[in-house]
Amino acid sequence: MSYIISEEAQDLLKDVHDFCEKEVKEQCKDYDKSGEWPKEIYDKAIDMQLQSLEIPEEYGGPGLSRVDVAALIEEMAIADAGFAMTISASGLGTKPVLIAGNEEQKQRVCDIIVNGGFGAFALTEPGAGSDAGAGTTTAVRDGDEYVLNGRKCFITNGGIADFYCITAMTDKSKGVKGISMFLVEKGTPGLSAGHEEDKLGIRTSNTTDVVLEDVRVPAENLLGKEGEGFKIAMQTLDQARAWVACVATGIAQRGINEAIAYGKERIQFGKPIIRNQALQFKIADMDIKTETARQMVANALTRMDTGLPYGREAAIAKCYAGDIAMDVASEAIQMFGGYGYSRDYPVEKLLRDAKIFQIFEGTNEVMHIVIANHTIGR
Amino acid sequence: MNKQDTKGVLVYIETAGGAPVKVSEEILEPARQIAAKSGSDVTAVVIGENIGDAAAQIAEKGADTVIAIDSPDYKDYNLDAYADVLRQVIDDVKPEAVLIGATQDGKDIAPKLAAAFDSASASDVVGIDFDDDGNIIWTMPAYSGNILYDAVIEEARPQIGTIRSGTFKKLEEAPKGSVESRDIKAADDVIKAVIRDSVKEMAESVNLEEAEIIVSGGRGMGTKENFQQVVDLAQLLGGVVGATRPAIEDGWIPRNHQVGQSGKIVAPKLYIACGISGATQHLTGIVNSDYIVAINKDEDAPIFEVANIGIVGDVNKVLPVMFEEIKKIKEEA
Amino acid sequence: MNILLCAKQVPDDAVEVSMGADGKPAIDKIDKVVNAFDTYALEMAARFKEAAGEGEITVLCVGPDDAKNGLKNCLAVGGDYAYLASDEAFEGSDMQGIASILKDAIRKIEADKGIAFDIVCTGKEATDMALGQGGILLADKLGTGVITNVIAFDTDENGVSAKQETEEGYRTVAADLPVVLTISKPDYDPRFPKIKAKLAARKKPIEAVAADALSDEGKAAAGEGNAKLKILRSYEPPKKESGVKIQEESDEDSALAAVKMMTEAKVL
Repeated sequence: MSYIISEEAQDLLKDVHDFCEKEVKEQCKDYDKSGEWPKEIYDKAIDMQLQSLEIPEEYGGPGLSRVDVAALIEEMAIADAGFAMTISASGLGTKPVLIAGNEEQKQRVCDIIVNGGFGAFALTEPGAGSDAGAGTTTAVRDGDEYVLNGRKCFITNGGIADFYCITAMTDKSKGVKGISMFLVEKGTPGLSAGHEEDKLGIRTSNTTDVVLEDVRVPAENLLGKEGEGFKIAMQTLDQARAWVACVATGIAQRGINEAIAYGKERIQFGKPIIRNQALQFKIADMDIKTETARQMVANALTRMDTGLPYGREAAIAKCYAGDIAMDVASEAIQMFGGYGYSRDYPVEKLLRDAKIFQIFEGTNEVMHIVIANHTIGR
Repeated sequence: MNKQDTKGVLVYIETAGGAPVKVSEEILEPARQIAAKSGSDVTAVVIGENIGDAAAQIAEKGADTVIAIDSPDYKDYNLDAYADVLRQVIDDVKPEAVLIGATQDGKDIAPKLAAAFDSASASDVVGIDFDDDGNIIWTMPAYSGNILYDAVIEEARPQIGTIRSGTFKKLEEAPKGSVESRDIKAADDVIKAVIRDSVKEMAESVNLEEAEIIVSGGRGMGTKENFQQVVDLAQLLGGVVGATRPAIEDGWIPRNHQVGQSGKIVAPKLYIACGISGATQHLTGIVNSDYIVAINKDEDAPIFEVANIGIVGDVNKVLPVMFEEIKKIKEEA
Repeated sequence: MNILLCAKQVPDDAVEVSMGADGKPAIDKIDKVVNAFDTYALEMAARFKEAAGEGEITVLCVGPDDAKNGLKNCLAVGGDYAYLASDEAFEGSDMQGIASILKDAIRKIEADKGIAFDIVCTGKEATDMALGQGGILLADKLGTGVITNVIAFDTDENGVSAKQETEEGYRTVAADLPVVLTISKPDYDPRFPKIKAKLAARKKPIEAVAADALSDEGKAAAGEGNAKLKILRSYEPPKKESGVKIQEESDEDSALAAVKMMTEAKVL
């Protein structure tokens, strides 16, 4: 990979690689089949503090640049995309607080993560996917509390998070401008995880409904002001898109790694199949796509680090990385021939893992809208 | 010791249950080679309690003189005591070379002797030769057995080496030697560590080193239940069960069955490798086998590079058929 | 309790070493790591320290300048201080030479810090040359007892008691302090470094020990010129010739064909 990263990060990259090789890669094969959330792997990852990579230094994080962190997340994604998504989705759950929260809120959630917890971000509802304004979850002010009711769906870390950033309508008449964002901690009465999705891919991540039944949260758990929820959510997703693109890039890189290893080993017509130029070109195409995606991720994250606008770049990265992860995974299967279609070999999983990256955190169709809006202007 | 003052070869005979361990007999062969080169004798040393039989046995197997140090003091092995007794014998005999079997304890004794005589020792020797000056050239493995290297101790004496089991064969014919009992006490102040207790955890003793037939299983067996097929075939053939490190780490069989660099180095007449891909660490331990049969589903597995017969296929389908067919042959015979 | 760990930097043992064109093992391009058995020793020492709630672990390495990386890794997973004994005069030392350098370095560290090490531990062997002699030679030079192949240890008012792995089980071995322990693989793995501990370790100093710390005895033992065991040449072991490969229509047919060949070869 050609992220330009600090010496510290290069050093950490070896440790993360080592950890993933020993504790994640092979183990996740079984969990991919069972669909069980591999708590023991996550406990080990937390032991290594991998869950707090994105936490700013002033709140107890390691103080790495975003590109440094991306290199580490990609390494995790190479081992298992579901594993990387759990870590990344926890970062997603933390972003609304870091974007709009006050000092106390920021310190509170960062402490939870640093001490080994996970976060979750809950925007999507059964009737409100790309159209967030159609949401029916409500928050009603009652004295110095808000009472939340409703159902969120497809929430990564829904069943295992220690805190949630949840959007709810405080003023239905205002559409998206009536949406507010709340910080809700695990264990709050009325908060529960509902139906758990049995997914096509990223099966080592946990995806559930989040059910809110008269959930009372103190008014100070409101993030930003009433009515700012949609704006906060969009800012959150703007950032998060670069991170999911990073995970998608990891899937593609794994496809390249597997295809090369197999191509060198598989003998047909008396020579390793990789000696065929047709397959060498295939690998080159896979590499062109993957490296381009990676550099778009790096560009978006560098812009974030330097305070430049990044919405367009993150959307391009997400859309492109999701698409090429599908392409590259598919080509990796093609390299393996019949074996590629078998569950005994590692590449069919990549295709299953890749598909969601064209869908979540804004579908790639929505990404086109975002990019067009940025490019054409209103 | 001064080089010119030394002559002959001294061999330390390790015993277990009153009998010499296999490698201790094997090292009489290189000992005779070295002695022949310099026109000298082989002296063997046996230490323990009630080791008279072992000493007598060694006198038939290639030692000219066997020094038996038989005392209740040495009922239990103690590194410091045994090394000090050997030091005294060496001081007296002044051998040009000391050979020790590369067992766990043997590999502890050798450097202690090297320190005592300000010499050096070669570890896990897999071959010997001589340079133009008659010094022993020791061949040793490095980097998990991927590399061999030759080394020599030019001036310091005695030249000390621990010899890996299976490297040499026991002598079939040997001159008859004599046994000489000696009473040697370890110096009082040398004993710095004491064995309080010795526990055998493994239910059965596994004699992989002396086995003529070994059936080994690796991770390719898949499950502990499947691994039983390896055990069954070994039983049918009257052989011993071996295993790779992954199979042991998965708890399919106790670790005294481990074959390879970090387990036992074996040299059977027939070695059947079931579901073993052939990591160098394992191959290092089996290359001296006379005949290797390997079963693995991956046709590019490195095990096939050393196998006389390589069966490409599902080990769990191949083994039952093999078992029945061999059973038939055995019954007919 | 003051613990000293002797750690060696070796080529990553997951990589197969082959011979280079220069007639030496081609190890330059292989990542350098801390010898696996030394990492087990560090983990055991770290657990001992944590259980005791006190004590310090000092890590000492004899090696080239790039061994600093390995030492930093040790500082991230339990080591408190690190020393690198690096000097041209040390290059090419045999095990007696290395043990002499270690001894003199230990005495220097003890004198500089005004402490005495109670436990000196190291891996039972290195994964490169796998001689398994270092701990024993060092104990001899330090004048202490040595317990080899240790998979667990504890201390009390009488000294140290260690579980020594054997082929069939284990022995319980007791010795006075100070003592040298050589560590085998226990039934747990070394921890992975915590991200923040790793970042902090990178900033910690690594003290240098040079040839001027050597005693006369050390000077007479260190370096290639004093090595008693001289390496003549290295080479790859001859490859065993591979035999026949059987892949019939079905696994059953393959099995039958194999048994037939084994019968013909009279190995059954």
